[in-house]
Amino acid sequence: MTESISTQAAVAPVRRRNRMSAHETRMAFLFLLPSLLGFIAFMLFPIVASLVISFTNWQLISAPSFIGFANYQRLFTLDPAFYTVLGNTLFFTAEYLVLNIIVSLGLAVWISGLKRGQRWFRVIFFLPTFTPSIAASVVWLLIFTPGGFMDLVFQTLSLHVPNLLLDPRLAMQAVIIVTLWANAGYNMVLFNAALDLVPQSYLDAAKIDGANAWDRFWKIRLPLISPTVFFGTVMTAITSLQVFDQIYVITRGGPGSATATLGFAIYQNGFSNYQMGYASALAWVMFLIIMALTALQFWFQRKWVHYDS
Amino acid sequence: MKTTLVLAAIALMGGAALTGPAYAQDEPVTITWQMWGSDENDIAAWQHLADMVTEVHPEITVELQTTPWNDYWTKLPVLAASGQLADIVAMQSLRMPNFYSLLEPLDERIADDGFDIDAFDESIIGGMSRDGVIYGLPYDVGPWMMFYNKDKFEEAGLDLPQPGWTLEEFTAAATALTKDGEYGFGVVPNGYSIFAAALGADYINDEGQLDFTNPSAIAAADTFIGLVTEHKVAPVVASGANPGDVIAGRFESGNLAMMVDGPWSLISKNDTVQFELGLAPLPREEGDLNAVTAGSGFGIATSSDNKDAAWKAIQVITGPEALQYLAEAGRALPARKAEWTYWFDVAAADVAGAREALEYSLEHSATYEITDNWNAVENLMTQYFPLAMTGSQTPEQTMQTIQSLAQSQ
Repeated sequence: MTESISTQAAVAPVRRRNRMSAHETRMAFLFLLPSLLGFIAFMLFPIVASLVISFTNWQLISAPSFIGFANYQRLFTLDPAFYTVLGNTLFFTAEYLVLNIIVSLGLAVWISGLKRGQRWFRVIFFLPTFTPSIAASVVWLLIFTPGGFMDLVFQTLSLHVPNLLLDPRLAMQAVIIVTLWANAGYNMVLFNAALDLVPQSYLDAAKIDGANAWDRFWKIRLPLISPTVFFGTVMTAITSLQVFDQIYVITRGGPGSATATLGFAIYQNGFSNYQMGYASALAWVMFLIIMALTALQFWFQRKWVHYDS
Repeated sequence: MKTTLVLAAIALMGGAALTGPAYAQDEPVTITWQMWGSDENDIAAWQHLADMVTEVHPEITVELQTTPWNDYWTKLPVLAASGQLADIVAMQSLRMPNFYSLLEPLDERIADDGFDIDAFDESIIGGMSRDGVIYGLPYDVGPWMMFYNKDKFEEAGLDLPQPGWTLEEFTAAATALTKDGEYGFGVVPNGYSIFAAALGADYINDEGQLDFTNPSAIAAADTFIGLVTEHKVAPVVASGANPGDVIAGRFESGNLAMMVDGPWSLISKNDTVQFELGLAPLPREEGDLNAVTAGSGFGIATSSDNKDAAWKAIQVITGPEALQYLAEAGRALPARKAEWTYWFDVAAADVAGAREALEYSLEHSATYEITDNWNAVENLMTQYFPLAMTGSQTPEQTMQTIQSLAQSQ
């Protein structure tokens, strides 16, 4: 009796587990279906389609024909603008990423130390994040435009600061200022929430041991919020490589090619010059750069991100 | 629509079998017409034209499909790519190089029917053509002209600009009007080609290729940019969001005394501004003025199944009655020369010098020469001319940059 039960029990769980998992898989699949369909229709299909298009000379109104790697060849060897565009994109990403993390982390630390009004400051700094970036950019355009508010302020102060939008060396700084204003609040809220989760007892203990505020930040708070900082860095890097809205509104890639980035070049080639094939090739270069950079960041995280386990 | 087509086809075949081809043409057919238009007045005017077709040809019904102007140009290539173009396609001369391949060449039909193409302004027939082949019948035409603030001219005690005025007179007027943070003129970077053409410079070579680096094109750029850098009679503009809008805004608010625009915006501009508006032709160099024009018209989609009916329809909607109607409504300066007078009486009625300026410009009208990638060239002008305006580059260097970048696109 006992034996038979045990043999049954030995066989049954295996079978039941199989049945259960098959059933569960079906259910899981069913629940995932809406999102999966959306992913296939709006992500996977366009991504694959753009890869195919990047090997054609499709110009929207004419039938596309297959031209192999000609678009990529033109991109890397013939197009005089490509390396400028690539350089601009990397320059923007590097400067903006560093500034964004410093500013948002700085704000987050400052706010978390406040006794009163924490919540208000959080809302105030987060506000620009949910302002439509096009609308915000138009307002900034009015501030920066030659003869605009900024020029007026500098004139009144008798400062000789060249107009940001007219100087090819400074135009990118205008774009960075706007992007920083618009997006630093998002990371700030993330970091601020993470800082609030750092156990007060750790900080008190460190204080008793004689650690000053500087040490407590670098040796306790920062390591403990490093997973959040890592997430913020990765997401910010990805979005800054794709920067478009601000450039479209404020500079249109100019003056000259001073602020033409990959995102803007894709738009201009695809929707202004109707060269879908070439624009797709550019988009794939951008995609691969983002993939590579993200992989690199994940590799680096082993060195500086601390997970509690 | 498909059912109608099938029905029409069956009816046509049936009619042909029973009564012979002579009656087959009178079988009812519905054709589609894609057009831009945003407000009710616009749409009502186009619908009136569509109804005119049925009055003349009772067997043809024209179904109007309107899209706002900006969206029209996004929608057009998508419709074309998915094979859903209407039978009649509205087309602007500046966009013809991008889209002419979607349209049926009309030369054969014009010759076969003995259609009088010479009744239209020659420059806009050029604008509706590509490599000498006509792809559309135009309904309006407009030369770029000089809009000016008459009040400012009178305040400064200047003579009003007269038809035939020269670059020298223009520069002198602009200089006199520049003071106290106000400017005499507004330079819009992608207006270079219009300005260069007026001065008689060649920026396109005989093969129709972009030629920004020949001496006359560079000299025109020196003059154009010199208005900002040397004479300082026009403000520097940045490359961002449409410098044309910035200049138009400053003109309307009274900050600029002169700007280049076309008769298509005359009525709305006259309604907007708080000062008295005046109109003059563009200034000329020693030679004759070359007033380039833009305009729009209608072509027949190559994908259409009703090309004959569409051909009949576009003759009606660009015919003398239709254009008189549009002119009297102040909606468009007719592409047909005989109908100009109706527009002069309406839109040009209370604008100083408008009639003389328009007549002079139209007398000296020329087709606006543009390349197939003109979109890209215009973008490059907007992007790179500001470098020359601020002195980061010489106009010559900018022209070379634009030339080399345009060739790679």
